[in-house]
Amino acid sequence: MWNHCFSMFEFPPDVEITEHIKTVSSMAFLWSKISSVLPSNEEQFPLQFGDKVESSVVEILKRSRQQLYSDTASACRMLNAQIILDISWERLNTGTWRHVDKEWRRIYSHGCLFKVGALCRESPSEEEIMQAIRTCDMGLLMGAAIMDDILQLVVGILQSELSKAAKDEEESEHVEVKRAKIESLHIPSLKEEMAIPRIKCPSLESFNANYLLPLKPVILEGIIDHWPALNNKCWSIDYLRSVAGCRTVPVEVGSRYTDENWSQTLLTVNEFIDRYILNKIQSPQDGGKALGYLAQHQLFDQIPELKEDIRIPDYCCLGEGEEDEITVNAWFGPAGTVSPLHQDPQQNFLAQVVGSKYIRLYSPEDTDKLYPHQSKLLHNTSQVEVENPDPERFPEFAKAPYLECVLKPADVLFIPVKHWHYVRSLEVSFSVSFWWS
Amino acid sequence: MRWFAFGFNAFGQICVQEISSSDKRRDPVKEVKVRNPTELKGHTHESGSCVKTSQIRASWSRRASVHLDGDSCVCLAGFESPITDKSRSECLVESRGCRDAYISESHIALAFPDRIEYWDLQRKDTTPSWVMEMITHPGSSEVKLPLVPGGYISSKPPFFRSLSPLLQGKSLALAGKHAVLLTAAGGVYTWGEGSHGQLGHGGLISEEEPRVVEALWGMPMSSVAAGGWHSVCISDGGDLYVWGWNESGQLGLPSRSLRKTSHLKSYQQAGQLCQDVGTSGQELYQGEKNEEVFISIQAFPALLDVTPSCELRAVSCGSRHTAAVTTTGDLYTWGWGEYGQLGHQTLDSLDEPQRVEFFRVEQLHVVDVVCGPWNTFTAVVQGGSTQA
Repeated sequence: MWNHCFSMFEFPPDVEITEHIKTVSSMAFLWSKISSVLPSNEEQFPLQFGDKVESSVVEILKRSRQQLYSDTASACRMLNAQIILDISWERLNTGTWRHVDKEWRRIYSHGCLFKVGALCRESPSEEEIMQAIRTCDMGLLMGAAIMDDILQLVVGILQSELSKAAKDEEESEHVEVKRAKIESLHIPSLKEEMAIPRIKCPSLESFNANYLLPLKPVILEGIIDHWPALNNKCWSIDYLRSVAGCRTVPVEVGSRYTDENWSQTLLTVNEFIDRYILNKIQSPQDGGKALGYLAQHQLFDQIPELKEDIRIPDYCCLGEGEEDEITVNAWFGPAGTVSPLHQDPQQNFLAQVVGSKYIRLYSPEDTDKLYPHQSKLLHNTSQVEVENPDPERFPEFAKAPYLECVLKPADVLFIPVKHWHYVRSLEVSFSVSFWWS
Repeated sequence: MRWFAFGFNAFGQICVQEISSSDKRRDPVKEVKVRNPTELKGHTHESGSCVKTSQIRASWSRRASVHLDGDSCVCLAGFESPITDKSRSECLVESRGCRDAYISESHIALAFPDRIEYWDLQRKDTTPSWVMEMITHPGSSEVKLPLVPGGYISSKPPFFRSLSPLLQGKSLALAGKHAVLLTAAGGVYTWGEGSHGQLGHGGLISEEEPRVVEALWGMPMSSVAAGGWHSVCISDGGDLYVWGWNESGQLGLPSRSLRKTSHLKSYQQAGQLCQDVGTSGQELYQGEKNEEVFISIQAFPALLDVTPSCELRAVSCGSRHTAAVTTTGDLYTWGWGEYGQLGHQTLDSLDEPQRVEFFRVEQLHVVDVVCGPWNTFTAVVQGGSTQA
């Protein structure tokens, strides 16, 4: 590996190399690390795309590839990378996301890779490394995997470079993380007869017979107690910062996704924590009141290190799908985030890792009392504000029977397929959902 | 008539820098992003006389100049065009006698008096990939591509798509995934993808078949244009109506992303993508009710005051920008400016129309405008006269 790294620097012949090394800052070595995961030369860097991609676009990709392996002003590298990002961005925004040709997602990822090249080639500043990490994340979020998921490798290198730099200088500002109080948020008084049953570590057979086959909700206790996230890798704010602080994630802003002023934005985990978990920064845009929610994001694919802290529940094997078909989503937010009453097309294990959530479930048999939205887009979402229903608009709603619970750390709620669920966080909360079939 | 252009030039579709000894002082960014309106070099006929360009059509990587004088033909500049002689752009041999052209990223359509030919630009074919014979009625109006008798041509197969004869199309603007048709009676019909309000029917729903834009009903229009996700039209009275996505200010209405603090700029663009992906149409119709109302999606036509005092005579849309010409010969541009396509000699985007001062300063009278996806071409005459 090291041989290869040096070859990327255009050092004068042998003898002088050692001298040079001393003067090169650690950041300059970054490019040698990155280039070690790149194909060793232009010929081995593939640019094969389907015929949906015009040859003019491939031409720009070729120009970028050539620049990656030659000396040129970084402004030129950046220019071509940006052209690739701009043209693929336009294609990604044409047609519905599902129908976008995968080739254009691959092109977008190439643009991200070339942009990282432009940013990191010549002793990048810390800010440029941050920008390169954001660029990788954009590729991971919007693009498609290219070259054995090279962006994942590159972002790993960038992140370790940054944390190294941080350790060097930082006195570790000890932020006193106040335990989020349960404030004035009202905790509904739970009714005994509507409580979701709880069982401790049932056998696969008994879970299958008593809950999965009859599609009955249940809270499973003791099945995730062994997760590192609940033990030595406890998901504290500090820990999340250290593992994922500089990574860019999609954040929902607004109290619920059915609200008019709900929107999505991209923030780094650090920004998200400062702004929406610790409320350090009041954003003028949302009047300081809006809630931010890192919701329904496949964070564990983006940051494999966090995946190490969780385990897929054994009960998922009762489904017919393969393990890699299970969708694992992260749900991280402050007190008061609300997921309106909705249903999902798959079985769901909702595992609570940090904080607590109030959850209400309605059976799909009572869908006619739940007033789903008419629009195609929101037909899986009820119009009713569950904890403050309008009896005039939704007279039948009160007649619908329900189950409820407060989900606490280490609890896992089984939400059977199509069961309507309403979720409100009571404090800072981190949950992991597993969708399986 | 002379032609000027500015904006995206990565393929030399506007101009090719002469490679001289001053090689080191070349600024590749400025060559790719042409900020200053630059005059297009004319096509020189074999006889040595300069042939006038009557019309320009542009795709992302190419420019097609239509010459109607004498031996009419089409010249291509940009991607894969051999640069033999700087003063002479390549004339397509196959285009002799052609009256109109229409170019997409992969194809070029040529309209001859008796037929339409459709050529694949990516394959080096010696015959057109599609031909449509036409019976010419004397006195019938000329073909105006992409409209052809009975329908229109599309850049993706099937190349010919029929249109109801009842529509009586006068001109058609095709963009990424939607179409805007102007009828002989001045009505406007739209169809195709509607996810960003670009159809003007008030929703975000796509339409398979042409549907009349009811909000414009009873107000005869004289021209239409379509961008990547927005649409515009000019009324008989010279007013401009706009609808669709305002992500880069291409509607000339307040755009949130442009007003965001500039330090967010680095990844705001990527952020927009995410927003769309995540909400896939749940996006707000209008901005929050803060001090200022931002328009993200304008799903109905809105009247845009380009200039208070005069009327418009021509309009064209790039993928994310818009350019309009007034009857007094001024050019106004707005929307995405990252590649210099607004002609204001900056790379800034604008969410309100701004006059391009260059032509005033040079005492040039703008008579027409044609946008490529990321660039802009204008036809001008010497100040004072309006005739070419």
